[in-house]
Amino acid sequence: MVNGTFSQLVTLGSSGMLLTALIVLWRKGVPAYITAYKWQAWLLAAITATVGYYGRDPQLYWVAAGLLALKGVAIPALLRTMQRRFGAQREATPYVNTEVSLVIASVLVLFAYVLARPWMTVTHLPTRQGLPLAMGLLFVSLFIVVSRKKAITQVIGFLMLENAIALLAVVGTYGVPLLVEFGVFLDALMGFLVMQIFVYHIHETFDSIDVEELTRLRH
Amino acid sequence: MILSVLLMPPLLASCLAILVRPYKRFVGWVSLIGASLSFAASIALCATVVTAGPLQDAASATALWRVDALSSLLALCIAFVALLAAILGQRVGRPDREELSQTRHFRIFTNAFVFTMLAAVTIQNVALMWVAIEATTITSAMVIPLTRTKASVEASWKYILICSVGIALAFAGTVLAYFDFVTTAGEVPGSLNWTVLRATAPSLHPQLLQLAFAFILIGYGTKAGMAPMHTWLPDAHSEAPSPISAMMSGVLLAVAMYAIARWKAVVDVSVSPWFTNSLLTAFGLLSLTIGAFSLVIQHHYKRMLAYSSVEHMGLVSIGLALGPLGTFAALLHVVNHAVAKSMSFLLAGRILHRYETTEIAKVTGLLRVMPWTGSLFAVGILALVGLPPFGLFVSEFLLVRAAVVSGRFWVAGVVLVLLLIVFASLIDHLNGMLYGEAPAGVAVGERCNWSLAALALSVGVLVVLGVTLPRPISALITQSVRGVIP
Repeated sequence: MVNGTFSQLVTLGSSGMLLTALIVLWRKGVPAYITAYKWQAWLLAAITATVGYYGRDPQLYWVAAGLLALKGVAIPALLRTMQRRFGAQREATPYVNTEVSLVIASVLVLFAYVLARPWMTVTHLPTRQGLPLAMGLLFVSLFIVVSRKKAITQVIGFLMLENAIALLAVVGTYGVPLLVEFGVFLDALMGFLVMQIFVYHIHETFDSIDVEELTRLRH
Repeated sequence: MILSVLLMPPLLASCLAILVRPYKRFVGWVSLIGASLSFAASIALCATVVTAGPLQDAASATALWRVDALSSLLALCIAFVALLAAILGQRVGRPDREELSQTRHFRIFTNAFVFTMLAAVTIQNVALMWVAIEATTITSAMVIPLTRTKASVEASWKYILICSVGIALAFAGTVLAYFDFVTTAGEVPGSLNWTVLRATAPSLHPQLLQLAFAFILIGYGTKAGMAPMHTWLPDAHSEAPSPISAMMSGVLLAVAMYAIARWKAVVDVSVSPWFTNSLLTAFGLLSLTIGAFSLVIQHHYKRMLAYSSVEHMGLVSIGLALGPLGTFAALLHVVNHAVAKSMSFLLAGRILHRYETTEIAKVTGLLRVMPWTGSLFAVGILALVGLPPFGLFVSEFLLVRAAVVSGRFWVAGVVLVLLLIVFASLIDHLNGMLYGEAPAGVAVGERCNWSLAALALSVGVLVVLGVTLPRPISALITQSVRGVIP
């Protein structure tokens, strides 16, 4: 019974994370993307804490607290500052339109289920239903990075990709060793800060954060 | 002890550059001394490893740092190129205010970059190695837009985005392999260490490891500039300041290949080597083809050198797939390429400084304008196309021989044809640059100085590697091969 609740909670949380990624494909304003990212990070922290509780691993509470502070609060705040600086930038015409994007996303999630089949057979973890969802989130966020034109949307796609991997680690292995977790946190933060600097560079040099402008270097 | 002499100088130099504000000239000298110390330590490390076996800070299973022959070989290359870059990078800034803050920025991130590369090859934990490799992306990306132009901003954006996404996939692969490990063996200390992973590999699930390796190869392959994930490489390498281009092209790509070779060693124990070999051969041949044909249509000499790196990483990847002989050739090729490519990029920086253009067509009469730089650049290109008596000839020859010996004649044939295309196009571009009249407005003549002497030393290294493969080096590479072949 306990395991039943546990696995249902994890599946619910993982599905919620996947849904927040689909919001980015569906909505057109950057503020909506930031909100979606914030919810996703909160869900990730909640799943981590749940796994910590049922898996009796108190270390994971620290990881969850770190995730909440960094990805749930700090990064969304920085993203909002960035977005306010650029004014109302809309993802007007992405490379792939909304309908096709959603169809592609569903195909990617199906593909994730196919790919995850071999692991579902080798593991008996109560959290294993989360694995294909984490994989699906990984592919969908990869698709966000390649199909959107605004630099800020690409950054959000990248951040969601990181969340997907964190989810994969927590549902698959109940978290990687703490030292590794710390290193990954540090890299995520530094990487995000550098990307933020570069988005400002692009804005100052090109007067736009549309990466379509970036076509000077060919061949 | 030796390990801290290797790792600490660049870290301390970076901290010093952060603390000294405004920038003072002595920071540059400290960086230079640090790079020399680091280089000396890397030689000592190689000697220790060859004679006394792997160096580690605790028992094999739990050690955080572990230096075997392969690690020390890579550390030697990194420290050598970092030293060259420190010697040639002395004149990055001229003494007005803006330039000083740029030089400070350059020193902070260049030294941090060297530190992260050295850490990546000496850490035993695969996940922390990933952390270090991701950190190399961040530190090197910060230096690309040193002088902010539209082109450099574009290059740095492509670089950080493509490489961060790629490297994130490598982490997904690492997590998958760890997942497999935890399901089979449970949680044990040091479960992410090379030695432990390799020892447990026979009991892991082949299907899961295959998937993990696919992620890892795509991830680190992006960082190694393998086609079709190479699109960031020519931009980043051509827009970065020359000392950074030299390090990125000469050793950073090799660090990513190192990660692939390490994982290949783990996966090969569990899955038949046929799997990793065919993937590496496919990616390698594609990189070699794209590199070779992009060289034909190149108009910029720094981009030309960058595409030549794509081509050489393709060769290394093919070599890793050709058994022990091929791996020997590939590792020797990594050493040769590090020396030749870093030298060429540093010389390209000097040419850019004088001509103020990166277009091949606008650089004429190089031999008359800069006799020393011009002739060294010519030597560098001749080495890169694989002419004797330089080291790359030997490693390419060994590679083709390994393909023939293992019965893959078609691989050998395709490699030879593509190398011929590379040869013809590079020599053609070189001819256009060396001869002819000097363009108007470019000062003619050049004095020989210390930094050029340092580059002449690289030529000496290439010739020695090409004529007689010195016994210590070949012993080191043989031991490295033994470390990654099951």
